[in-house]
Amino acid sequence: MSTAVASTFDSALSGKPLRAIAAFILIVNGLFPALWILLTSFKTEAELTQKPITWLPQAATLRNYFQAFSDQPLLTFLFNSFMVALLSTALTLLVSVLAAYALARLNLRFRGLIMSVIIAVSTFPLVTLLVPLFETMRALNLLNSWTALILPYTVLSLPVCTLVLTSFFEGIPRDLENAAMIDGCTRFGALFRVVVPLSAPGVFTAGILAFVNAWDEFLLALSFNSNPGLRTLPVGIQLYQGEFAFPWPVISAALVVGIVPVAILIMIFQERVVSGLTAGGIKG
Amino acid sequence: MTTTSTFKSEADRPVVRRPWLSRWSDPDDTTLAVILLAPAAILLGVMIVYPVGRLIYTSFLDLSLTSGLPARFAGLGNFKQMPDDPVFWQATWNTVLITLITVPGSLVVGFALALLANLPFQMKWPVRLSLLIPWALPLSFAGLIFGWFFHSEYGVVNDVLHRIGLPGVIWFNSPRLAFAAICLAIIWKASSFMAMIILAGLQTIPRSLYEAADVDGAGRVRRFFEITLPLLKPTIVVALIFRTITALQTFDIPYMMTGGGPGTETATLAMYIHQNTVSFLDLGYGSALAVVMFGLSMLVTALYLRMIRGNGAAS
Repeated sequence: MSTAVASTFDSALSGKPLRAIAAFILIVNGLFPALWILLTSFKTEAELTQKPITWLPQAATLRNYFQAFSDQPLLTFLFNSFMVALLSTALTLLVSVLAAYALARLNLRFRGLIMSVIIAVSTFPLVTLLVPLFETMRALNLLNSWTALILPYTVLSLPVCTLVLTSFFEGIPRDLENAAMIDGCTRFGALFRVVVPLSAPGVFTAGILAFVNAWDEFLLALSFNSNPGLRTLPVGIQLYQGEFAFPWPVISAALVVGIVPVAILIMIFQERVVSGLTAGGIKG
Repeated sequence: MTTTSTFKSEADRPVVRRPWLSRWSDPDDTTLAVILLAPAAILLGVMIVYPVGRLIYTSFLDLSLTSGLPARFAGLGNFKQMPDDPVFWQATWNTVLITLITVPGSLVVGFALALLANLPFQMKWPVRLSLLIPWALPLSFAGLIFGWFFHSEYGVVNDVLHRIGLPGVIWFNSPRLAFAAICLAIIWKASSFMAMIILAGLQTIPRSLYEAADVDGAGRVRRFFEITLPLLKPTIVVALIFRTITALQTFDIPYMMTGGGPGTETATLAMYIHQNTVSFLDLGYGSALAVVMFGLSMLVTALYLRMIRGNGAAS
């Protein structure tokens, strides 16, 4: 029977060998660039300029890592990136928890309109606001400060976080809040003592998205904070390049240092990140 | 979902003795809505609405900080300057071309990755991680790393070309090759996010549909085109629109890989806005350029909102 033939063919296709090949393709595609940088970070400058080039480091060294920290204030860059990302994440979460609660729980007359505005903002090209934001920050004397980045980053992540949190809040039974309110909680009390703790996974997911957005941002950081003491990591990395020289092993070491914190965060919370990304991207 | 809630509305809540503070700490629905939405509204007002107004205003000004002259109303002067500016055309064309190449490119690659990732693996985390890492890698890092991959002497791409017996290529000397390298880097970076969205969509398709098709004798290819693709259409449309708007703003990868070079051959609109604003401090012209980009992306967003409303009515 032709069906039998077809399904044998199908099971051969989805069998073990295919799965192994698929896993290989996915992993090489996803991890090769990061892996290559990791390997490069252990090579010496001399090895790097050998031809043909080597793939695995011949005499692995950790010197590049020390040099990455001593050539440039890498620790300062990391600290700036971390603080800007952390503070903007905290602000984003606070603002989006409040907004999402209103959208999920109150019978708003303009709910449809507000949702449309949120979606429109989520596709807003922040690049176009480079001039007015630059002007404003300049006028307020905020160029070269954390605030110059924290505020735009908060707006950048606000729509996604609000959408993710709204869908989480909608999944929490109203009875729990009502019970808390009978017990004497105010609505704000119910929000912060009942709803937020119960949707901790959602709050956490939104937080990771906001953190990664802020950690990765480049254009505004490049335009607003050029002072070496206030550069974030993506902008600071550029300082390693000389006029003509390109000390790749040291740059690679700095890149590895920049990738590892986020990679660890993502490795631990993979499922949450995926669910947040898909909820924020699809639901409207 | 929620079963019957204890109180149908605010009015049904038991009247308890309200302390004087309660109007503020336990407000009615309308007041509460205003309090809850105010921070978001203020933030959007200060960071988006006001700057957009400011942007449009500045685009009509002759405002260059290097000249030291005070701002002067220039009417459409900045916009009239554009048609005669070859770099504007170049950057706009490059931006459009990047969008036209990398959006379908990342869809096709992302779809392939999603189909592979949807196979029944015993361990799910390595596959998931290999989709997440490219998403989390900062664009600027990706640009830097791919720039190194395509290095003419010590890059891994030319090394692979040598190993399979092909001549190496000086990627960044030729506008076309540099552009191709940039597009490859963008497709790599964007396809994993695309794959995650599509994978999530794939996993919502009920298995029974495939089993029914199996009974009818539909092969793999037919099942893909008659079940998978139509059911994923809404997901894909949304993902594509997001990608399109991101592609119009392309900055990090070309900035890090080529710096727009050779010459301005691989510059994008976002890079040109940045250059005019931050390097030349010509805020008037920078704003006018931004208005053009704003218009482009509003067009795509309008399309998106229409499509979402369409989907909402359908489901």
